[in-house]
Amino acid sequence: MADLRDQTLGFRLRREWPAYIYLVPTTLVLLFLNAYPIAYTVYISLTNFGIGRNYFTYQYIGLTNYTYALTTGATTSLTLVENSFFWAGGCVALFLLVGLGLASVMNQDLRGKTIYRTVILLPWAFPAFITILVWANMWGYEYGIINAMLGTIGIHKVDWILGGADTAWVTLFVTNVWLSFPFYTVVFLATMQAIPKDLYEAASIDGAGTLSKFGRITLPYLMPTVVFVGLMGFLFTFNNFYPIYLITNGGPGIATQIFITESYSQAFGAVGSHPAYATAAVYSVLDFLIISALTMVVIWRTDLTRNWLK
Amino acid sequence: MTGIRLEHITKRFKTETAVDDVSVEIADGEFVVILGASGSGKSTLLRIIAGLEVQTDGHVYIGDMLVDDYEPRDRNIAMVFQSYALYPHLSAYDNIAFGLRVRRVPREDDPEKLRRRTREEIDQKVRAAAELLGITETLRKRPAELSGGQRQRVALARAIVRDPEAFLLDEPLSNLDAKIRSSARIELRRLHQQLKQTFVFVTHDQSEAMTLSDRLAVLNHGRLLQCDTPERILSHPANQYVASFVGSPEMVFLEGAVQATAGGSTFVHGPVRVPVRGAGKAGPVTLGVRPWDIHVQRTPAEGLLSARVTGIERLGSSDQLFLNILPGPTAAPGAGAGTGAAPAPVAVRALVRAYDFNVGDSVFVTADPDRALFFSADGTLLESMSLSSRLP
Amino acid sequence: MRTRRARRASRIAKRIASHAVLILACLFAVFPIYFIAVTSFSTIPIAGITASILVPKPSELTLSSYDFVLFHYYPSFVSLLTNSLIFAGSAAAIGLLLAAFTGYALSKFNFPGRRTFVYFILLISLFPSFLLILPLYFTFKDLGLIDTYLGLIIPYSAGAVVFSGILVKNYMDSIPDDIEEAALIDGLGRTEAFFRVLLPLCYPILGLAAFLAFIGPYTDYAMANVFITSNNLWTLALGLYHLNSTDTGVQPYGLVTAFAIVMSLPIVVAYMVFQRYIIGGLTLGSVRG
Repeated sequence: MADLRDQTLGFRLRREWPAYIYLVPTTLVLLFLNAYPIAYTVYISLTNFGIGRNYFTYQYIGLTNYTYALTTGATTSLTLVENSFFWAGGCVALFLLVGLGLASVMNQDLRGKTIYRTVILLPWAFPAFITILVWANMWGYEYGIINAMLGTIGIHKVDWILGGADTAWVTLFVTNVWLSFPFYTVVFLATMQAIPKDLYEAASIDGAGTLSKFGRITLPYLMPTVVFVGLMGFLFTFNNFYPIYLITNGGPGIATQIFITESYSQAFGAVGSHPAYATAAVYSVLDFLIISALTMVVIWRTDLTRNWLK
Repeated sequence: MTGIRLEHITKRFKTETAVDDVSVEIADGEFVVILGASGSGKSTLLRIIAGLEVQTDGHVYIGDMLVDDYEPRDRNIAMVFQSYALYPHLSAYDNIAFGLRVRRVPREDDPEKLRRRTREEIDQKVRAAAELLGITETLRKRPAELSGGQRQRVALARAIVRDPEAFLLDEPLSNLDAKIRSSARIELRRLHQQLKQTFVFVTHDQSEAMTLSDRLAVLNHGRLLQCDTPERILSHPANQYVASFVGSPEMVFLEGAVQATAGGSTFVHGPVRVPVRGAGKAGPVTLGVRPWDIHVQRTPAEGLLSARVTGIERLGSSDQLFLNILPGPTAAPGAGAGTGAAPAPVAVRALVRAYDFNVGDSVFVTADPDRALFFSADGTLLESMSLSSRLP
Repeated sequence: MRTRRARRASRIAKRIASHAVLILACLFAVFPIYFIAVTSFSTIPIAGITASILVPKPSELTLSSYDFVLFHYYPSFVSLLTNSLIFAGSAAAIGLLLAAFTGYALSKFNFPGRRTFVYFILLISLFPSFLLILPLYFTFKDLGLIDTYLGLIIPYSAGAVVFSGILVKNYMDSIPDDIEEAALIDGLGRTEAFFRVLLPLCYPILGLAAFLAFIGPYTDYAMANVFITSNNLWTLALGLYHLNSTDTGVQPYGLVTAFAIVMSLPIVVAYMVFQRYIIGGLTLGSVRG
């Protein structure tokens, strides 16, 4: 009913005003539960508010915290930037790889397809919070089932989580792929199944083989979905909290720390020489700035919001 | 039962004018078809009558009531949509009953007060409407389980069951198979005769418009070009656009000029030179002839133009011949005078009995002088001008 | 030209390879779940876990962990479940209403400021929700809402609003305008048409929106941990985290995994039953583009 072409503001207001009524509850909720706390966070990032110290007597100290984060604390900040991008980028690359691979294998006439599909969907059906807790135990050095199984084939115990940055990242990537690959597989499979069959038939007649059919039909057809799902996955993973928080907690050191987990730890964890919650707020704001900038680029480059703004 | 009056209806969007100063009066019980190509503003006009769209200027009267400020539900009209717009989550029965259930009616004891219709009242009306349209068997099914034709009937039943002031139909037959479509036309016409209510029907299909309408309103670029009976529109189209849009096969147009000659005025177009009456001063005009008003024969005769058959379109009971009129011996003397070169052949079409002619045949043609029309350079019909019955 | 036999052989090889890949994927997918399941029936503590736990003797299987979790845990499982259902259920109901209104306004109205509003909610939803916990905590403390039902229901209800709102909008976009218009002609006002025609047509997506609004609070640890202090308001997620973090290695690991199984069960069943809707709903925006 939206009369998209209609002209004057007054005319639109006269017809479309009920929309505002419908948006009042959501707007109030978002203002109170999101906008206000965000503003509060920005304000706190400009103070020396600490959890243990300056609890009730904090003051406004201008951009000092930001200056600190970009000078003295630059090494940490840079590590967080690198880790956040490595985490999100690495995960999405793996999601796409595994998802596309499995989807194209499943997109043929195979016996037991439904069973495969159901089983592959299982990890997705379990609440992530719960399975991550168990994964954390499975990666354990002394008693983890993974090391126990490696032991049976003669491989020495690996200190996955604390042994080094490389193995810590492996645990995170494997766990997160486990959590997410079902969704990606099923989405890509659904998209592949929507490709008109006659395209493949026409290609067969033109003499195309399996690979060239994939490259010339499947992939171009999938591209919009791959781009959309990939970008959304990146934005989501960039701030995906539980896997890192519950498995490595950023360790060893801050080798796997990303903005959001560092911020949470600063707010609720150890208090150093610097005001912890203010630091947490600074990281929150930096995280927010980065993710907003990325989103702007995404919107600008891919017309992502076309559906939402139509 | 009520008429509808539109006064200077205009609908402007940001960049275009969809409906431009349209005034029509639709009589009570009349079947009016609004005919136009896509983008002509015909659907917008219908939606303005329904109240789904608000006009920028002008007034809509239903009966004698000015309804400009009325919501669709207060206008008490029924509408059949091109997509039928059946509620997918309701059975056919519930679709038809929906309007009856949500509307209240005056109470018998106190007409000031309103009451809901009883279940029995609703059931009776739904069944009567279903009976009328022959869909009693499908009432339990959901729209997704119905065929196109059945959906269209359910949509019609949903409209008639409410006993509205008028029916608005937005291309309701365009989603039907060609076969069902023609029987649906007949049925719709029958329904109108039975209900004796006002119908406003929008279509882009001129043959649909011709068969259905009492009166036909032709719209182009938002403007009402002509509103008249189908016969009048065929015989006296207001302008060249109407002439070409209505009537199938399409009218043959020859863009030529009137020249003053010794015996009076002559219309000249290549090898075609025909005397005319009622021409004003010399200048460019267009001659329009319906293909079925062009007569074709094998034997030459005085005043006939010689032509060759270049193509045949088989239409069933008749053939449409594609003809090239040649600069030939029977053309009026002096053909091509002044230039020295022979004029190029002129392509025309003629409707003839099937299988009388073959491609390549040499034939002789003439036009029915009373039925040929002339249009001025800007396309308007030159009423006073006609072919002279005196043959050249 | 390859011979027919060679072609046949390569087809079979391809099929075998495909099955091998899928079986590997299934093993990967199912392994942690199998591990959870098998330990939940055993009494071995985490310090005693060896690879042999994966092939238990039938005689070693026991329901004692389930018995403990369901009947002997403190706070009682029933209380944890009740609280989780209250929090997540209320949040889902409120979130559903908000999503339905938002989706409707964005889909079927072209009001001035529509674009700005979409950017506003998008931007707001980008801020990592975990980082809102502390400012909210201070605010709620001032309002006296800490450690109350309302104090957690309110912040939970905003959790999925933006995402679900856009889901509903996309779905409503696919409902032709003339269905709504038919209702207007049939005698409804716009508001009634929304409630009586549009909303019933949106049941599948509303179900998904409610489910998403439910699952967040149901599995939330980060916020509940800060906002809830009394045992009698504890949720399942808090209970599980507590059970896991206080595991000193001597109690049966099955306690944690039995808890995990019981807590996951309703969600898993819902996922499996509504798989089609969930995937369809989540991919609507991407596949259609």
